[in-house]
Amino acid sequence: MADIVDIAVSNDNFKTLVAAVQAAGLVDALKSPGPFTVFAPIDAAFEKLPPGTVQTLVQNPPQLGRILKYHVVAGKYTKADLEKLDSVDSLEGTSIRLNMKANEVKNSTVIAPDIEADNGIIHVIDNVILMGP
Amino acid sequence: MTVATPPSTKIPPSNHPLADIIYRLEAGGAMLPDTPENLMQIIGLYKAYAVPMDFYWRDLLYIGEQVFLNPLPFFKFFISEEYLQLPNHYAGDTADLRIWRGGADCHPELREFIEKGELKQKLPRLFHHLWHDRINMEFAEECMRSMLWHRDMYVPWNQFDPYLDSEEYKQNADRAIKAYFKGNPVMLGLYKLFPDMFLEQCRQASYYANLGLFWEVMAPVFFEMSDLYDEGKLTSVPEAMNFLVNGIFAIAGRPIYHHVYIRGECYEIIPKSKGFTWLYEAALPYVEAVFYRTSPFRGTKSYNAQAKQVPDDQQDFHYGVLYADKFPVGTAGIPPTFLAQDMLHFLPPYLVEYYQQHCRGEDDMLVQLAVSFQRSMYCVTSAVIQALRAALLYPLDDPNPEHLKANRAFFEAQMDRFLRPEARIRDIQTQDYR
Repeated sequence: MADIVDIAVSNDNFKTLVAAVQAAGLVDALKSPGPFTVFAPIDAAFEKLPPGTVQTLVQNPPQLGRILKYHVVAGKYTKADLEKLDSVDSLEGTSIRLNMKANEVKNSTVIAPDIEADNGIIHVIDNVILMGP
Repeated sequence: MTVATPPSTKIPPSNHPLADIIYRLEAGGAMLPDTPENLMQIIGLYKAYAVPMDFYWRDLLYIGEQVFLNPLPFFKFFISEEYLQLPNHYAGDTADLRIWRGGADCHPELREFIEKGELKQKLPRLFHHLWHDRINMEFAEECMRSMLWHRDMYVPWNQFDPYLDSEEYKQNADRAIKAYFKGNPVMLGLYKLFPDMFLEQCRQASYYANLGLFWEVMAPVFFEMSDLYDEGKLTSVPEAMNFLVNGIFAIAGRPIYHHVYIRGECYEIIPKSKGFTWLYEAALPYVEAVFYRTSPFRGTKSYNAQAKQVPDDQQDFHYGVLYADKFPVGTAGIPPTFLAQDMLHFLPPYLVEYYQQHCRGEDDMLVQLAVSFQRSMYCVTSAVIQALRAALLYPLDDPNPEHLKANRAFFEAQMDRFLRPEARIRDIQTQDYR
């Protein structure tokens, strides 16, 4: 099997995400043993953001890294695990609201859950999620 | 006044007392009605606000980075030429992300005002200052102090404020404080005796930088809106609000930091690598501190502890621009007078003409413009509410009724803050309020 980064690189739907992870210098972290649970926004999710948002973030790697860390949770949570929880704590430090019965992570919908990787698991979502209640 | 009808039949009507405004927000509108008169007032005031703001952000950074802990900062408002020319990161050819098409150094109207003032005479800046012919920088400091004093806002999403209490911050500050007072045994001795006194001053300097970096963004946004309006490209209140929403998103990720320059060397008290962002560490706390809370005006409330006019809990403070009584502007004990006086110098001609036709014409222009300013800040707050809704909740045209209900609950919770009688949201619905 491949690790989280390899899976994202090999999939054409994650071009923006992979570029962002590289710009933020998080490749090594996401290749480490982990395990991690990653909520991975597809390219179309980044396109929904107003113009300039991604540009400003890419110019500022620490700030971009913080947003990306909000999409990562320490530990391996399958969809079935997440269904039992109201929220999980992100690596960014604040928590992510969950409603897996409705197939939702915060205000995004899970398109493809439970993609297994060597060092964790990926759930594909249709929105970039942002910190906040 | 037209009463908005529910935009969606997918969810039941709202029972909220401000339901008509909630429906307008759900239809993509702002808290104030979409009329040409409102648009003219809010854009005109953005322009009049942006020019002094161009001075505020430059001087705030100057104080935070250069004046720093000067115990006798007599000349802190005498900003250096270097800071007047400091390229704005969001204007001019060198911009990181160009928002205003104009130049990156200080605005020409500001430059002229600094040189000639109200007197329209070229005098040394010290004379202009002593004659009080100047930008009221104390207003910017009051906003900064409001942010400093209302701590813990938006925690845990705001990480700036908790960081000021961390060991890491204290060590960074310690290095800068020792370097700043190098060769000054009196101040270094005092620092040894009362370290916390110096540390707290350093925290204040960090908030100078925070607010300076916040306004560095807002000034070009307001200049650009004014230019677009003049060109006929901004034609309605929702368009103006959406320009602000897009601006908020575009700049959300800019770093917030505090660098101090001592004898040519840069001390990173809050480094950019902390990942602090414009949205979470500056904009949201600013809106809470300045638009909603601030502190009771000395001229309208008694601080007498027995009288219980001032709330015990800082969360209940409601003295920001959205609640302020603008009619006593120009009288003693009313802080927004500072800002109103600053904006008076830079009003666009169409607003001067407009005010001359109403109320007491030129005589009460300060009050009239302060009321327009309040309208314009209701538009900014509408943009913040819509931006939060877009970031954390769902699109306004979402087909899922559960999502629309979540949006509705969010708007209702926001409107709850305007149910107290001091809120001016009812007043701004008509033009009789001026």
